[in-house]
Amino acid sequence: MAEPGLEGSQPVDLSKHPSGIVPTLQNIVSTVNLDCKLDLKAIALQARNAEYNPKRFAAVIMRIREPKTTALIFASGKMVCTGAKSEQQSKLAARKYARIIQKLGFPAKFKDFKIQNIVGSCDVKFPIRLEGLAYSHGAFSSYEPELFPGLIYRMKQPKIVLLIFVSGKIVLTGAKVREETYTAFENIYPVLTEFRKVQQ
Amino acid sequence: MATFELYRRSTIGMCLTETLDEMVSSGTLSPELAIQVLVQFDKSMTDALENQVKSKVNIKGHLHTYRFCDNVWTFILTDAQFKNEETTEQVGKVKIVACDSKLLSQ
Repeated sequence: MAEPGLEGSQPVDLSKHPSGIVPTLQNIVSTVNLDCKLDLKAIALQARNAEYNPKRFAAVIMRIREPKTTALIFASGKMVCTGAKSEQQSKLAARKYARIIQKLGFPAKFKDFKIQNIVGSCDVKFPIRLEGLAYSHGAFSSYEPELFPGLIYRMKQPKIVLLIFVSGKIVLTGAKVREETYTAFENIYPVLTEFRKVQQ
Repeated sequence: MATFELYRRSTIGMCLTETLDEMVSSGTLSPELAIQVLVQFDKSMTDALENQVKSKVNIKGHLHTYRFCDNVWTFILTDAQFKNEETTEQVGKVKIVACDSKLLSQ
């Protein structure tokens, strides 16, 4: 399967991505309300690939292989779906879980589906002077190499958190729509080039 | 000592149960004694596997299904390879049921 964000596989729309880099979506978290009370033990006993240990966690943890995702299913009927690589895949996976619950005899609906978080990542392919960046963007940056090797950049507009590593690898999280991820990256890219580390 | 009744479903356990059933229905054994024998079987199996069996088996296969409920893990493997010091055996489909023996001592 060709990854859309992969370099060289598709020409990048430079009007949308002036940097020429499109962050790859790595994880989508979504929620949905099945709108019926659930008997978690019955679900764990009947469904495949389910874990239920009420002493440790009050939800059934269920996995499917396509789209490769994990769902947390609560007795209230609320469900969290994680691990999908796109919004559509997340919704498709959530529908599949809802179908499984229905097949077990519960009157599951599919109410208020919502994407809660989108995580993306990319590689600018040059090293970055994190100290310099942290110093000049002090209001947004937290860089404590003894605690965590990456610089944590809390962008205000869009409200996205970026993890910036010396290696040039970037993680962007907190988006509700993928455009926020893309905008945040285009905002930070000129800053990254400014603090490009020159190799001796 | 508390034990699992897990091994009653094994070939040896099923054979014992059948024999006890026969003896009870023919009147040569009281039902109470038959139950006692089964309880002793549970203990003996646990003890034997814990203290007398030294060999190890490696099982490798494609995990088709798993489940964890009531502290019991169930795995269904396809195309599994069972490997010990002497031989390897290929199995098309196998179900593994596993309980945590630590729970018994609680």
